Order: sequence, then C-alpha cells, then structure tokens
Amino acid sequence: MKTAISEQPSADAAGGRAYSSFIDVLRRRAVEHAADPAYIFLPDRAGEPVSLTFAELYGRAQSVAARLSRGGHKGDRAALLFPPGLDFIVAFFGCLLAGVIAVPMMIPRRAGARDASAAILADCRPRFAMTRRDLIAASRPDLAERFRDAALDWVFTDECDAASPQALRPPSADDIAFLQYTSGSTSAPKGVVVSHRNLIANSEMIRMALGNTRRSTHVSWVPLYHDMGLILNALQALYAGAPCVLLAPVGFMQRPLAWLRTIDKYRAEVAGGPNFAFELCVARHRPEEIKDIDLSCWKVAVNGAEPVRAGTIERFVTTFAPYGFDAKTFHPAYGMAEATLLISANSRGAGASTRRVSRAALHRNRIGDPLQPEDGQVLVGCGRALQGERLAIVDPETLLPLGPGSIGEIWVAGPHVACGYWCNPEATEAVFGAGFASGGARDWLRTGDLGFVADDRELYITGRIKDLIIIRGINHYPQDIEETVQDCHPALRRHGGAAFGVPDRSGEEQLIVVQEVVRTFRGEADAGEIVASIREAIAREHDITVREIVLIRTGSLPKTTSGKIQRRLTRHHFLAGTLSRI
Amino acid sequence: MPEHPSEAAIRDWCIQYLTRTLDLPGKTIDTEMTFARMGLDSANSVFLIVELEDWLGLELTPDLLFEYPTIGELARQLAARTSL
Repeated sequence: MKTAISEQPSADAAGGRAYSSFIDVLRRRAVEHAADPAYIFLPDRAGEPVSLTFAELYGRAQSVAARLSRGGHKGDRAALLFPPGLDFIVAFFGCLLAGVIAVPMMIPRRAGARDASAAILADCRPRFAMTRRDLIAASRPDLAERFRDAALDWVFTDECDAASPQALRPPSADDIAFLQYTSGSTSAPKGVVVSHRNLIANSEMIRMALGNTRRSTHVSWVPLYHDMGLILNALQALYAGAPCVLLAPVGFMQRPLAWLRTIDKYRAEVAGGPNFAFELCVARHRPEEIKDIDLSCWKVAVNGAEPVRAGTIERFVTTFAPYGFDAKTFHPAYGMAEATLLISANSRGAGASTRRVSRAALHRNRIGDPLQPEDGQVLVGCGRALQGERLAIVDPETLLPLGPGSIGEIWVAGPHVACGYWCNPEATEAVFGAGFASGGARDWLRTGDLGFVADDRELYITGRIKDLIIIRGINHYPQDIEETVQDCHPALRRHGGAAFGVPDRSGEEQLIVVQEVVRTFRGEADAGEIVASIREAIAREHDITVREIVLIRTGSLPKTTSGKIQRRLTRHHFLAGTLSRI
Repeated sequence: MPEHPSEAAIRDWCIQYLTRTLDLPGKTIDTEMTFARMGLDSANSVFLIVELEDWLGLELTPDLLFEYPTIGELARQLAARTSL
C-alpha cells in the first residue's frame, strides 16, 4: 500500500499515560488539579462570569449522574438542549458518568418548523431531555409542548444537587460516549456513534498536532452542540488540563472583537472557528475598540469546519499583526464528525501552506499550474495526516488508491473513526466499511470530500462528491432546502429544483436555488412574488439568506435518465449562464 | 454621521445596506416588506443591527427586527430613539 500515507500509531496518551475513558480524564483532573479553573463562561454584555473548577465540575456531574441513574439505565439516550453556558458541560459529563449516551442538540428556533430536532428524537429515542429549568419556565416554554409526543423525562441540571452521589461503574473504552447528529438530511438525520475510545484517540491526536499543554488556555464561542465547539475546544481543553473560556455564539456574531479581547485578557493560546469567524473579525475591526490588546499569546488559531480561504488568512494577518498576531498561528485543519472530529492538521507553529493551481484544471479534477494569471486559484493546505491515522486518496469510481498529486476521494482509518451511524447499518456499511478494490482491510471511512496529497504530505481539499452545502460552518442538505422551496408556492414543481453552494467574490459559500415553474405559470409580476416566498421560506426553515434564485422552464432541470436530480450539472450550467431562465 | 438622522435617512440607509448585502442590484426594496420576506437570516439580522448601532451610536438588540419587522417601522422607531 505504498501510495497511501501511513503514520506510526501513537505510542501512548497524554504525558505517557493512557486513559480508559473520558471520565478517567475528568477524574484525574479533579484529583490532580482540583481547584484549577476548568470552564469559565462570559455572558454577553454586562453579565458576571461564571466558572467551575475541575473538582466542582466533577461534583456537579456526579449529582446529574445520580439523577440519571435513578430515572434510567445505562445506554439510555439524553437529548442535551442548552442555552450558552456551563450547564451543557455539566450535563455532558453527567451522562458520561451515568453511562447515558449524550445527544447534543441545537435548541430549535421558535419559528422554524422544518428542523432536525423531531427527526433526531425519533431516530435515537431518548429517555431524557436535559436543560436548565429557567429555559423551559421562562424563555422557551414551547419546547416541552413541542416534544410532548417523545415522552421525555426532563432533567434540569440546575436542580440536580444530590449530596451523596451513587457509586457508578466507570465506563469502559468501548462504551458509547455520545451521538453527533451533523450528518444526514433534516428528515433522515444520522447520528455518528462516538465511543470513549474514539474520543480519547482523537483528543490525543488533537493534543499532539496542536501542541497543547496545561498552559494552553482555550477561548471559544463555537456552540457546544457543534462538534468543533465541543471536541476541539471544550473537551480538548479539559483533556490537556487547561482552562476553557466560553463565549455566547450570538455575542460573537454581534461583537467578534470581544473574542479577541478575551484571548488577550486570559492570555489564551488556542482559539479557533470556521473561516467566516476570521472574516467577521476583519470586517468588524475598529481600532478604537481593541487599541490596547496584545495577541502575541495566541499560538493556535484553528480554522476548520468550512473551506479555509487564502484571502481570509491574508486579511486577518494584515489586520491583526499590529496587535502581535503571528501569521504562523493560523492552523488550517480538516475533519468531520465521522472521524470524531479532526482528520488533518499541521503541528503547532507550522503556519498555513498554500499552493497556486489552475482553476480550469481543478474543475476537471486535475492539478496543474495556472495557464494565465486569471486561471490561478490559491488552495490552502489542511495539514498532514495525524499520528495513528491512515489517510488515502482513492479513485471514487474504481476504488483504487491514487498516488501523490492526484485528486480523489479522501479515505481515513484509525482509532478515531467512529463506530458508525446510530441504528443505521446500511449507511454505516456504505460510509464506514470501505475497502480498496485491490483488497486489504475494509475499515476505511469514505469522507465524501475530494482532495490530493502533495509531495510534502500536505492534504489539500478541492471539492465534494457528496451533495452538501456548508454555510458559516453549518452543514445543510440540498434535499431539505429543495423540499422547503417546493412547499412554499403552488407554481413550483415537486422534484423540479436543485439547491447548491457557490463561492461568492470573497470565496464564502452562498446558497443558490434553481427551480422549475409549472407551465401554466406566466408573468413577471408573479415571479417577484414567487422569489420572495422562496426567500422567506428558506430563511424561516433553514436560517439561510439565499444569494440567488433562478426560475427555469418546466422540464429543463438537468436530471439523469432515471430521473435523479443532477445538482452538480445544474451548478455548472448556473455558473456558465446556460440555464433556461424564464 | 448626522446628529439626529431623520426617519427618511434611516429608511434610505436600510434600503442601501440591504440592497448591497442581499445582493439585489436594480431591484427596489419595499419599505413595507417584512425582513422575513426579504429572506434575512439570523446572521444577517445581527449584522444589520450591528451596522445600525455603529452608525447611530445606540445599543440595540437583534429582537428589534421582530418587534419592528419592516424598514418603515424600524426607521420610525429608531428615529424616535435618536431624537431623545
């Protein structure tokens, strides 16, 4: 298997010690660094910070675990529905202690009807729903009603205060820690099953790649129901034994510079987010708001969860270098929930690698030098395969591994590759049980992403095979959006639309909708009405602003002979301007 | 920045800003159309509020767009606040 890239398996866990479960990590922190701060939450605007030491976190998690053990059994699921704050962390570790499988979820938006929450509950059938009492009592009383049919046992972390926690059998490495629902469409979500072994393995890979130690204070605003917020920020800090400072996501969107001020204030080493977060900091840069800050403490700025753009890195470095930000801090990374989280990254301080390639060749899945300046496109490398991981580039048609410099599907194997999808053997087999046509182990994860490995072993992501739209780090599935579109106006044909992402001038992915209109429909006046209905429905149901809506003639949407929608061909026609617009 | 922008000035500013960010060149934005109808998502709502805060020197919350769901109503409300 000379063409696949292999790394030596990792020798041992952090500091030469192996952990039997993530609870083992927590327990050791609670014993060895009992009084050190584990998590600090800074509420938006004037609120007072709240914090937990490692010992306090362990104590509160034990109280929660006692409550869960009284009401259920090992292997039961618990839906975690928390507003920003520390209760999520307490609930998460409470679940792990009790052997209850945590299911982090986004709190459904009030207005949105078509969100994944109902389908997630139907898929994993949780016994418990966990939140804070005040969320249900004051701000979101609609939630209990919304989930009434799921017959949930509500557990309020702020009311769990058992004085004498029960003795609980510690989890073993093969026990399931949590389910991560970031894959699959809204109607058919897929929960990635992450075991303690997966979590420990990936946490160690992340620690080694990022060079984290107990001094590596993290500052994060990424939501904890998002795998990047949970694993790369919150859990990695605890794994390394460092404090983690949490900010509310909406506060970040409103005041991104507060993130930078917090990094300075806590002298944090690690802080990251999706590409748009760095772009937002540049856009909102106001010298008077950060004139005294010093970002020289910042050592690792992970950029992941959506395509990493060279222009963003350049702009961010130019803007914040005067505040002590070092360009080598930028840490592009690649990963996905199916691999617990991280798949590739460079070592701390390596900085970002870039490569200028031909855009035209890239469209044909080839790597070449630009023919003329306008043909040039800069790709950002996402680092190398991690310690203990196998990574291969495979021809998605022939299933044969490809050599360096060839574009193919990225395949990954290793102890961090999750166990599969919850109660979904077909999807598990298709995604987690891949093998080369030439033989060998069938333990490869098919990522659905396209890329190549350069001679220096740097991985470059060049595209996607899977139909997926990533906007501000959140995955959206085109089928869901197309359904919303076709439900919103009688003139729109079922199975007659395609949704896809296209980068805008700055390289940020934007949603485009192409939709057939029924033959009987005529008239400019109604077109405006239809477009507005589509915009409104997509914002309401998916919380996305559509960039462009193209209405086309009946029967002109590209489909295969068997009637399957050809989204990539539609996208190609959109970019070439060759759709039959009405 | 004008001392106390008028309702009309705030309306014009919103139209200009939304035309640009929603990428709707050449199309007129109706001041009585709801922000929801324009397809404003939560991120773009926050950005609109932040830009208005910057311009008007007021502290605002994103909920404002639910309470005053059109450019017309928002401008009326903000003009009343800035003239206080």
